[in-house]
Amino acid sequence: MQCLCTALLAIAAPLAWSQQNAVADQSAVKLATQVCVSCHGPGGRSNSPLFPRLAAQQQAYLVAQINAFRQGSRGEKEAHDYMLGMTTLIDDPTAAALGRYFARQTPAPGVPGDAQRIARGRQLFEQGVSDKVVPCASCHGAQAQGNGIFPRLAGQHAAYVVHQLKVIQSNLRQSPVMHGIITKLTPEDMADVAEYVQSL
Amino acid sequence: MRSLKASPWKLLAAALWVWLVMVMPAQAVPAYARQTGQACVACHLSFPELTPYGRLFKLSGYTFGKRQDLPLAVMAQFGVTSVRDNRDDQGQKIVPKTDEVAFSGASLFVAGKINDHIGGWVQWTYNNLYVNNAGKTVGHSGIDNTDLRVTGSSANPDSTDLRWLYGLTVNNNPTLQDVWNSTPAFGFPFTLPPNGITQIATTMLDGNLAQQVAGVGGYVFWNRRVYVEFSNYQTADGFFSPLRQGQLIHVPGGVTRLNGFNPYWRIAYSREWGANSWMLGTYGAIFNVYPDNTMPYTPTDRFRDIAFDTQWQHIGDPHTYSVQYTHIHESQDYRASYPATLAGTPIGVGPTPANLGDTLVTDKLKFTYYFERKYGATLAFNRTHGTADMGLYGPGTVSGSLNGKPDTNYWVGELDYLPLPNVRLMLQYYDYSKFNGAGSNYDGSGRRASDNNTLFANVWLVY
Repeated sequence: MQCLCTALLAIAAPLAWSQQNAVADQSAVKLATQVCVSCHGPGGRSNSPLFPRLAAQQQAYLVAQINAFRQGSRGEKEAHDYMLGMTTLIDDPTAAALGRYFARQTPAPGVPGDAQRIARGRQLFEQGVSDKVVPCASCHGAQAQGNGIFPRLAGQHAAYVVHQLKVIQSNLRQSPVMHGIITKLTPEDMADVAEYVQSL
Repeated sequence: MRSLKASPWKLLAAALWVWLVMVMPAQAVPAYARQTGQACVACHLSFPELTPYGRLFKLSGYTFGKRQDLPLAVMAQFGVTSVRDNRDDQGQKIVPKTDEVAFSGASLFVAGKINDHIGGWVQWTYNNLYVNNAGKTVGHSGIDNTDLRVTGSSANPDSTDLRWLYGLTVNNNPTLQDVWNSTPAFGFPFTLPPNGITQIATTMLDGNLAQQVAGVGGYVFWNRRVYVEFSNYQTADGFFSPLRQGQLIHVPGGVTRLNGFNPYWRIAYSREWGANSWMLGTYGAIFNVYPDNTMPYTPTDRFRDIAFDTQWQHIGDPHTYSVQYTHIHESQDYRASYPATLAGTPIGVGPTPANLGDTLVTDKLKFTYYFERKYGATLAFNRTHGTADMGLYGPGTVSGSLNGKPDTNYWVGELDYLPLPNVRLMLQYYDYSKFNGAGSNYDGSGRRASDNNTLFANVWLVY
């Protein structure tokens, strides 16, 4: 009898989990196409530099950010004005499903920019600057594709990247590791590296 | 509530009240902000002008977010109005309560989602400076703008975007349901000096039917690009009578009364790129109007309004710009009033036109700039011109027209400061170069158009 129960549980638990995931995925698609789309664009390929591109973003990073919005550890004004309320209205399975949804979208193509700035940004991204900043690629990937909780930066709006570097540097957005890494980054460095990752 | 004299103690009390409003935490958030958890700037470039997200929220029937148990919001305004020459040719004051701080009115909103497909808002307004039939300034309350919606939507095949967004709207003001601020109901100026001197003629779509009609319509928004709407407007009677609560429907000359169903249409094409959004559209309506609202059995006059409009917005950080323009062409067919006037038997208190047909054309252009969505400046130009008709636009002190023309041109300059997202301090100036047909002696009593120039300082609170 115990064996039968265990067997039933072994079958039922994954079934229930997958059913819950399917429901959450449906909710996520609905949210993404009815609400998120207005700012973050079709499939997370936003037009406006005010709003980040989410297409092909790392799932773990997306979920971590939804949690950060909820917990208020992203203290920049935009996080409060646009995201705090919306993220507190969704449950954990839907948050995970939104992460899956945007992670599987096709990324927007890179945007060409100022060649000299891109070259300087690439140098900084790939090799870092001694005594100033470690290579960004070591966490964000050689192609800025991201890795787990380290976000994809390729194709991201340059203005958005610069803004995030500033709010992390000023600790408005709490990201202790990143804050420590970019302490010495100048506005010029930020503009260079942002121009580079936007072009990818 | 009586108006406040500008004594230091009363000003201090007003300031204290403003401060109390500011520090109230949960109550100090309008109903939709509470429902979505988002700040005003998510939906408004600066209230009430909508951002692309605000437009989507409205077209989706105000259904984003979580239904509130108490979906209420409140709005109040008080300010000072000053008219350059506020005395008529007999020395009588024209606009009451000028040059003093006056509480002009307050609104209560019931606003929010009912479920994922139904939502709306109802606005009830108390006008503290309502001028009654006897010319006295009294308090008066009644229904204001109302918009109720049922909506649905579907995604595109690869589930990356909205394909169809569709809905039904019931509202009480033509163009209230529109989401672009180039149309009249939510066009600039967003608030006016109370009891200001108004031009002799405006088109039907330009506010003449507000809170008097019931409109039922359907719309679709395809690919977030193309918007098509068709509605029917009728006088808000019977089942719809709550939509005109507080209006004088039984007093001759009270409301504009329509016969049967009156079609309204709207087509708009919208694009978004970068931080920009742009819309090009057309809208219009045909209204069959009883000359005397208390005689809804007589023949009717017909007004056909055809309008074009465009809007461009650039919402950036820290600079935000927006431009709106609309052109409204109204053909007035006095098929009932003209023959009656010719026969010497005008229909009740209805119009007595000298022509069978007139035209009335209005152009409105507005440019707005905001810095950090906090410090704003707007410049607008309004121009109305049309057929001279001595039967409609006769001489009369201040509000009449000596040459029978409705032509009025004016600039509006506005400065705004929003210390909080839901508090607006504003300063408006109206500069008239032409009023009711002329720049000088427009009324036959020696009044100049510029005598109507008005300065309006206002505090506008929503919470």
